[in-house]
Amino acid sequence: MVETFQNLLLGFSIALSPSILVYAFAGCIIGTLVGMMPGLGPLAGISLLLPATFGLNPIIAIVLLSGVYYGAMYGGSTTSILVRIPGEAASVMTCIDGYEMTKNGRAGPALAIAAIGSFIAGTVGVIGLMLLAPTLAEFALRFGPPEYTALLMMGLFILAYMSSGSTIKTLASAGLGLLLGMIGIDVMSGYTRFSFDVVELGDGVGIVPVAVGLFGISEILLTAGQAAAVKVQRPRLRDLIPSREEFRLSVGPIARGSLLGFMIGIIPGSAHIISSFVSYGMERRLAKDPERFGKGAIEGVAGPESANNAAASGAFVPMMALGIPTSPVTAVMIAAIMVHGISPGPLLISQQPELFWGFVASMYVGNVVLLILNLPMVGLFVNLLRIPYSYLYPCILAFCILGTYSVANSMLDVWMMLIMGGIGYILRKFHYDLAPIALGLVLAPMLELSLRQSLAMSAGDYGIFLERPIATTMFALGLLLFLLAIKPLIFKRGKDWRKDVGLEGEQG
Amino acid sequence: MLRIALAAFALIAAAPVHAQEAYPSRTITMIVPFPPGGVADLTGRPIAAAMEKVLKQPIAPVNRSGAGGKVGYAAAANSKADGYTILIALSSVSIFPEVDAIFNLKPAYTLDQLVPIALISADPTILVVHPSLPVKSAKDFIALAKKQPNEIAFSSSGLYGTLHVAMEMVVQSAGIKLRHVPFAGGGPAIAALLGGHVMALSSGPAAAVAHLRSGKLRALAAWGDKRLAAMPELPTWKELGYKDVEFYIWAGLLAPKDTPDGAIKALRSAARTAVGDAEFKRVMAKLETPINYLDAPEFKKFWDRDAERLVRTVRRIGKIEAAK
Repeated sequence: MVETFQNLLLGFSIALSPSILVYAFAGCIIGTLVGMMPGLGPLAGISLLLPATFGLNPIIAIVLLSGVYYGAMYGGSTTSILVRIPGEAASVMTCIDGYEMTKNGRAGPALAIAAIGSFIAGTVGVIGLMLLAPTLAEFALRFGPPEYTALLMMGLFILAYMSSGSTIKTLASAGLGLLLGMIGIDVMSGYTRFSFDVVELGDGVGIVPVAVGLFGISEILLTAGQAAAVKVQRPRLRDLIPSREEFRLSVGPIARGSLLGFMIGIIPGSAHIISSFVSYGMERRLAKDPERFGKGAIEGVAGPESANNAAASGAFVPMMALGIPTSPVTAVMIAAIMVHGISPGPLLISQQPELFWGFVASMYVGNVVLLILNLPMVGLFVNLLRIPYSYLYPCILAFCILGTYSVANSMLDVWMMLIMGGIGYILRKFHYDLAPIALGLVLAPMLELSLRQSLAMSAGDYGIFLERPIATTMFALGLLLFLLAIKPLIFKRGKDWRKDVGLEGEQG
Repeated sequence: MLRIALAAFALIAAAPVHAQEAYPSRTITMIVPFPPGGVADLTGRPIAAAMEKVLKQPIAPVNRSGAGGKVGYAAAANSKADGYTILIALSSVSIFPEVDAIFNLKPAYTLDQLVPIALISADPTILVVHPSLPVKSAKDFIALAKKQPNEIAFSSSGLYGTLHVAMEMVVQSAGIKLRHVPFAGGGPAIAALLGGHVMALSSGPAAAVAHLRSGKLRALAAWGDKRLAAMPELPTWKELGYKDVEFYIWAGLLAPKDTPDGAIKALRSAARTAVGDAEFKRVMAKLETPINYLDAPEFKKFWDRDAERLVRTVRRIGKIEAAK
């Protein structure tokens, strides 16, 4: 403990030196802007910036890039809340209740809670990283394909709870998402599925163009189609600050989201999105009056936003403690330090204490920077809503196209986004939920890969899921959730238990 | 008449001016078919920076990733052959056309659409195993695999990916059977090995070296023609008697076929100077990637032999159902 404290002091002495502090600031600002650009997420942000860090020293490089990374996680919530466009994929869940809050004139509190939640989650994440990195990293490695399969199955069961309307329509949406996830090269056999000779489709359909299209473009189209001009909002100052009640409701989701996000974050794989989905599902289950979800519940913003920021810190655990890139983002960051001749690996923390502790301390600093950067800007952002829609929306559309294109320099992604916008518009006219499509698209390829990897490991024996304690436990939990979910479908005549807890029953 | 004569004269006068326009006169695009931070990107950017100094025109690396590199390779192969588009390619460039053929797909590009400029680096992969696997040498490994066919699992960067094909060469040459568990990229593949979910992997030396030092992984053999300078204790498969097992992760500069000779010549000479550049050498040393420069003619020979080995292996893998 004393040693940790001394190390942390060393870290702060590095992180607070002016030359590094400047880069932490710069990273946070760039990250926030990148996160706000629809389509451009943390990965695109740090990828674009990576070459610029080659000339810097490794500590500065990693401080700058990590600033961009969690800055983007913060910034992603802004456009989700204000205009229902996910700034990055992990903010999809924030769109739902965040935007509803905006429509209710509570944009300010939503933004403020998102920033505060992100700050707390980020700090919890750094503390976890600092104290537990080596221990947790070993644990993370025990997550092989079977464990991942179990985790993803739980994700699917949670999907069953996400609907705010008809169960059939939710399942239809989820089915569409899963089908979209089937597009691309089958990783286990090499067959190309549904790609129609388009080479780019070999990788499947990206979540970014789909999310931006489904949520953002469809919103723009819906607004344009309204008979009466939409009233431009004129927020007052006292509407910017969350009420006492909103604070009270957010405490639990932020705390749970932080822990959950961090745990999911350390697991290898692209976990940000899952952490926010799981958090949303969990908050909904735990809420006293779940029917508020989807209509502007602050918990629906606080939970997922905390979870995805904690997951961002969690992802650094295997990267720092083992030198393994478990997600595309950490892969780029590892490259950033490798260029400087530092080989990432289990010995990194002991051999490069300045790097590790400087990095940890800079994350504390960065989180504070982001909080003081974001809270005052809430007023500014909310005032963007004063811009008449006829000016605001064409600009947003242009940014969506620009952002989506620049992720992979691909026109295909732009078309995909526009087509998804059309589909989203039609589906919303028929009152289909869009979130299950996004979740299905994310889960399908991951679940398929890990399931088939598991079976490849066991030469086709399904027993592998019962031999491994972590996987078995999660499957048992998932099964329990599933049974609870289908119970009202089977016992229709009986009293719907979900009425007791306030979940919708058969609404059809 | 006079007007026509004048026009003709103008044309004649203008033509040499046009032809003499020195190459390069504007920015050259370097297609990097992988995301930033990958081997292609980390080799491509420093070599681009070093070549700029010679050519006096900027070289802009553009990441066109997708489908394991196929998107970028196809984009480069089908781009305008004017000398202003070049490609930094890895060994996998030879594999895709063959895989397309196996699945009766219209090939996204063919190898003869690309011509070599220079080989920049070539690093053989090494066999790393989880320490819990009861083998101390490559010989033990083969013996164990023969005793327990289809029991040892190995990870790879993806089906028909370079790390898969490398391992498959050993499988075919030694007549053993292993379980293949493909992952999405080299990072997850090595994580699965560290976690003990699979027991073996053919890995790039740079990615494995830190784990070898800490004892979390054990290295048994190398895929090169000669022993690795950094790990001289590792025998090569060739020494062990598997003559046709040879594999490199290489990175080289290619250009679309029909790129003007003048441009190719300028690029070749720029590459030759660039590999000797002090800054370039420094960056590559930090990445623990040995520079292995070959000029176009020798690179062509190297590439042909390498492609021949890869294509033969991929053909024998064939469709996965057929293998079972």
